Amino acid sequence: MTAFYAWVATLAAHGRLPQPFQYAFFVRGLISVLLLAPLLGGMSHLVVARRLAFFSSALGQAALTGLTIGIVLGEPLNSAYAGIFGFCLVSALAMVYVKRRAALPPDTLIGVFLALTLGLGICLLVAVTKRFNIHQVEAVMFGSLLTVTDLDLLVLLIAGVLVGLALLWSYNALLLDSLDPALARASGVRTALVEYVFVVLLTAAIVVSLKIIGALLVEAMVVVPAASARNLARGTRSYLVISIVAALIAGVGGLFISSRFLVPTGGAVVLAMSALFFITLALATVRRALA
Amino acid sequence: MKPLLEIAAVSVRRDALVLLDTLTMEVAPGSLHALVGQNGAGKSTLFAALLGFIDFDGSIRFHFRGNGRIGYVPQRFTVDRTLPLTVAEFLALQRRRWPVCLGLGAGAVKKSEELLAGVGLQGFSHRPLNALSGGELQRVLLANALDPLPELLLLDEPATGLDQASVARFEKILMEVDTTILMISHDLEQARRLADKITTLERSAAR
Repeated sequence: MTAFYAWVATLAAHGRLPQPFQYAFFVRGLISVLLLAPLLGGMSHLVVARRLAFFSSALGQAALTGLTIGIVLGEPLNSAYAGIFGFCLVSALAMVYVKRRAALPPDTLIGVFLALTLGLGICLLVAVTKRFNIHQVEAVMFGSLLTVTDLDLLVLLIAGVLVGLALLWSYNALLLDSLDPALARASGVRTALVEYVFVVLLTAAIVVSLKIIGALLVEAMVVVPAASARNLARGTRSYLVISIVAALIAGVGGLFISSRFLVPTGGAVVLAMSALFFITLALATVRRALA
Repeated sequence: MKPLLEIAAVSVRRDALVLLDTLTMEVAPGSLHALVGQNGAGKSTLFAALLGFIDFDGSIRFHFRGNGRIGYVPQRFTVDRTLPLTVAEFLALQRRRWPVCLGLGAGAVKKSEELLAGVGLQGFSHRPLNALSGGELQRVLLANALDPLPELLLLDEPATGLDQASVARFEKILMEVDTTILMISHDLEQARRLADKITTLERSAAR
């Protein structure tokens, strides 16, 4: 990869690419955004259809706790994947398990889990900050280009391909189950399995996105692309395509904003995403007025 | 003749609540069997048990002779008003392995038109599901439940909220369906008009 970064830097130095391409961290950030956008954008329309926005937020917060657990157990701060993925997965499966058995509304249960994981995370964070600078942890909370490594890109690529294939394989069952679980069940869909599989895939997508988007903002990337797409789409194909395109535009735009104004990448990407949402909302309003 | 469905002493409890109290009944093959009873008598709970959604005491036995398929038309199918899903895409969800988000082929649209023609909704394939009227949506759900023809069709108050013309149209289609039907109805007149047999569920005293 070093030779590739050097070649891109040469092109930037000769003015054939924008100036930020001189830096390897920016190129890595761009590659990660190009990998993340189809993954999160594609996933977002199922997250919204399955009403898992709040669930995704809770998972993002659980990632912070997972990070601190990983560090406490000896993982490096920059790649505490086992701690983050392990804790997020346990939290996600526990949330679904309890939700399927309890009579309480799902958002109430998710709120309980969110409070639990956040409380645990804050307590552990105090222990962690005795060994690390709090600003190093901030990178995980808000996302940072500087911490993305080639290994992260590889993990993102592999996870993206596997999650994408699994989603396509189970797409029709997932959407039918989102519409009406009883109808899905009558059609032979194993609704419990579908629900568990989806949260495992969502957990994997969120965990690999943390470095660039950040734990506190990742929810936005699995909700806002689909919300933007719903303003314009007229069928599931355009819904998927617009979700992905919106995530790509926001991702690349946010990356340039982040490098230009030296603000956290996650924040810049989410701001760009939110701006796109309001643009699509305005377009939808105009379209309705003209119809 | 052996019944298609045998329900023996089926009870459903949630904590201290008895949602369905020792129900025993049989459904004859080829019949239209109506379930009536007041709210809370456990009619929809019975359907949930039949579909395998909830645990129950007692036994439920199906004596299928063919494909063993159960068709189901839910009582409420509240389509998310902002979900961009066409009628053809909805019908393809249960019939196609190919993910509908990657587009429907000509075969899927043709199949959709065939199914819709059976319920008098020709040309509705590309309509958004969320733009259908209540009666049209119920007929789409019926078309969906009838392909492939199930051995048992479960209808959970299919006429609720429909105007008279829609109810009449729905009932006409129902009378032409050649399969066993178990239908929940709040409308005793409708049950008497359509059903070969009516079972009345009583609300459990233990609730």
